Amino acid sequence: MTTVSVRYIVNDVGAAIEFYRGHLGFSEVMHPDPAFAMLSRGDLRLVLVAPVPADHPGGGSRPMPDGRKQEPGGWNRFMIEVPDLAAAAEALRRDGVRFRNDVVTGIGTKQVMIEDPSGNPVELFEPTRPEARLDRR
Amino acid sequence: MTTDPLDALRLPIVPVEPRPEFADALLRRIESAGGEPAGGEPAGGEPAGGEPAGGEPVTVRYFVDDLAAAVGFYCGLLGFSEEVRSAPAFAMLYRGDLRLLLSVPGLPGAGRALPDGSLPAPGGWNRIALQVTDLAATVAELRDAGTRFRGEIAAGVGVRQILLQDPSGNLVELFEPGAGYREREQRPPSG
Repeated sequence: MTTVSVRYIVNDVGAAIEFYRGHLGFSEVMHPDPAFAMLSRGDLRLVLVAPVPADHPGGGSRPMPDGRKQEPGGWNRFMIEVPDLAAAAEALRRDGVRFRNDVVTGIGTKQVMIEDPSGNPVELFEPTRPEARLDRR
Repeated sequence: MTTDPLDALRLPIVPVEPRPEFADALLRRIESAGGEPAGGEPAGGEPAGGEPAGGEPVTVRYFVDDLAAAVGFYCGLLGFSEEVRSAPAFAMLYRGDLRLLLSVPGLPGAGRALPDGSLPAPGGWNRIALQVTDLAATVAELRDAGTRFRGEIAAGVGVRQILLQDPSGNLVELFEPGAGYREREQRPPSG
């Protein structure tokens, strides 16, 4: 059941679908428009939208009333827990996925940031403390 | 390997402020320590791939300039509850199955600069989306509370939505399903 929705702005929805399906285990729920797709992974629903003109029927990626355009990027991101971060990072590098940094050890997790084809970050993490595990609650 | 049953009760060894919320967090840990591990281990093996079993929280990280203001915003206005705060650099909030991590740029943890010196920052257009039952009423309430929106309510395919800004300028999308809204599973919307 998907219960949490996250929207990412991408330049190319098709390329993004391929990335999230091929590398991160998402499945496609729907792709009814070139500028819109909905994917899911566990409880995460990932909505991918390309910037569209103000008169486009899709409401989620139109420009703002003041003309500002929505675009990919930034630092906010969703995170995916992996059991072995080093192995996951190695496999993704082999696949040619771009990394924003190297594996860093933080409080409770090891983490690394990859980028989707539009440059949006996704954080992969491996808990190093039981409290950081997703099934702790 | 045998694990110490008290592990479940141990909070992260980081400076934390004594607050009543921790009692709730402790109680939850005690309850979960007594039960069966829910759903078994997530399947390992294939790196970063594979569909995880349902029921695990989804984790999202946002960068904020002012941790206290952000916690006040998400907990006070959007129904999040605070699980951990390691002031001034980090907080962990929950809202249903969403686990929201708040990190402060320039401070230890995820806020550290990258090797090339670039510093994480709040903002951007990617966002979490929270479903509400009455968007107009929700927006009116939030406006009364002094929050900022970016743009007005927009009607899309299946939903009406608006972009709310947190105190650091991060976006939170609020949406109300309409006639064309489809869930992945065929089940009552209240499910």
